[in-house]
Amino acid sequence: MSTSYDFAIRAEGLTRDFGPVRALDTLTLDVPKGIVFGFLGPNGAGKTTAIRVFLGLLDPTAGHAEVLGYDTKRHGTKIRTRCGALLEHPGLYERLSAADNLEFHGRAWHVSRREREDRIRELLNRFGLWERRDDPVGTWSRGMKQKLAVARAVLHRPDLVFLDEPTSGLDPVSTVGLREDLSALAAQEGVTVFLTTHNLSEAERLCTQVGVIRGGRLLAVGSPESLRASRDTGRVEILTHGLLDDVVALVRARPGVESASAENGTLTLALTPGAPTAPIVTLLVEQGVAVEEVRKVRATLEDAFLGLMGLEDDANGGGL
Amino acid sequence: MIRDASTVVWKEWREFRDQLLSLRRGGLSALILALILGVVAPVQLGPDWVRSKIIVAYWPFLAATMVSSLIADSVAGERERHTLETLLASRLSDSSIVIGKIVAAVLYGVGFAVVNLAIGLVAVNIAHSQSAPILFTVQRLSATLVLTLLASLLMAGIGVFISLRASTVKQAQQAFGIAIIVLTMGPLLAYNALSYDTRLRIVTRLAALGETRIELYAVAGLTLLSVIVIAGALARFRRGKLVLD
Repeated sequence: MSTSYDFAIRAEGLTRDFGPVRALDTLTLDVPKGIVFGFLGPNGAGKTTAIRVFLGLLDPTAGHAEVLGYDTKRHGTKIRTRCGALLEHPGLYERLSAADNLEFHGRAWHVSRREREDRIRELLNRFGLWERRDDPVGTWSRGMKQKLAVARAVLHRPDLVFLDEPTSGLDPVSTVGLREDLSALAAQEGVTVFLTTHNLSEAERLCTQVGVIRGGRLLAVGSPESLRASRDTGRVEILTHGLLDDVVALVRARPGVESASAENGTLTLALTPGAPTAPIVTLLVEQGVAVEEVRKVRATLEDAFLGLMGLEDDANGGGL
Repeated sequence: MIRDASTVVWKEWREFRDQLLSLRRGGLSALILALILGVVAPVQLGPDWVRSKIIVAYWPFLAATMVSSLIADSVAGERERHTLETLLASRLSDSSIVIGKIVAAVLYGVGFAVVNLAIGLVAVNIAHSQSAPILFTVQRLSATLVLTLLASLLMAGIGVFISLRASTVKQAQQAFGIAIIVLTMGPLLAYNALSYDTRLRIVTRLAALGETRIELYAVAGLTLLSVIVIAGALARFRRGKLVLD
């Protein structure tokens, strides 16, 4: 039986209204400790509001949440003491150097002088920023600032780190670099990471579990694989040589085949769940077709996400 | 709380330092002001610069002016530069952030006054050397320093109070400017609106009080006002509200 000690975050019926706008709508969510959790959703879905409530910066209108075992309404300071955060903006003091920015946060979290020095050196080296540690941060590129903001968020070795759109606005090279850094950091530091993003490939590569939110409501939660599996269509692609229309018609007539179409020698099949592929391949070979490759078409997290968004639109009777 | 407030002071001072070291961003004007107040004025006025009663009001006013030049930036600047939410997400308590920002500004104002007083004293003694060194009396120096501290504290408290709700530094500076005009011009206008007899009575009463009593009343008044304003700033500092502004 799991207890609140097994979870970094537990939210139950969490609701937050801003006047007539409901930013969070009865959000119920458990985030186990030690994982990278991705909170996915379009702009305005409620991701940032959720982080603000979890950090005790905003009180919920209804429901409640516990972060690291502390009630967010009553123990905001205790939560913030054990968490790190990179919020919507890097939040760096641009007149100060990188070393001073980290020094300030180290002091704020009561990291001892010796440990601060070691940790600042370690993190700046890890992110490739050590050589420019004395430059004012205002002179840095956006990618460097984001890296520094991540370093600041983990400086005091928090148990839980909130990263709100950490790769937002970065060029592809910086995005890949920061993603690799985050991945390594999560593995090495053993920290729980709560990451919001609308970059689905990022979530797929980084996250152990993801939750999909829209309009403040949690639409789905699970591993990226389980979300993908929920959208698997049973599609199979067979790359061939010598495929004729009458063979396609034969395939189409087979039990378990919902549809079959051919284009440039590629036969695309939609099979009923559990229908085997092997008899179809045998049929093709018997008909003199050269089969080069058979592959199952797997749904991506993007397919799953867009599917959920579509379902939500259908339920609401409207579009985005 | 003291440790956390001193961390905020450390950060604020790092920012002031970088601002002052940059001639373009304010260092030049501070340098010119220091030259005029710390060297030119003492050399021109000579021993009167040290002995005049006016220094008890002059230095607190100057220190408060120096505080006012930067305090509007304290919270509104963090908001404008998108550092406020990160600061609020830190483990620093509300009071340590407010007190830290006030103390940093007060140290700046008092530091400016003390440095200029010291430079001025040296300048007077070099330019107008006499058989005995020209020095402030202990009472006048003590009164000047205490009033400088309290005037800076009041100004910093008002600045933080206003800056908490301003969405930009410019807006904070405008609101702060209006508040200062009301605070300084208000009593003067009210005084001038009184009848001649009433004004005469007030002046006579003040003159009868003597220098020490007037200074003590000023200390009490500034202390009371500072406490009220700082308590107001602490009450106004609400994370849930600030994070949404």
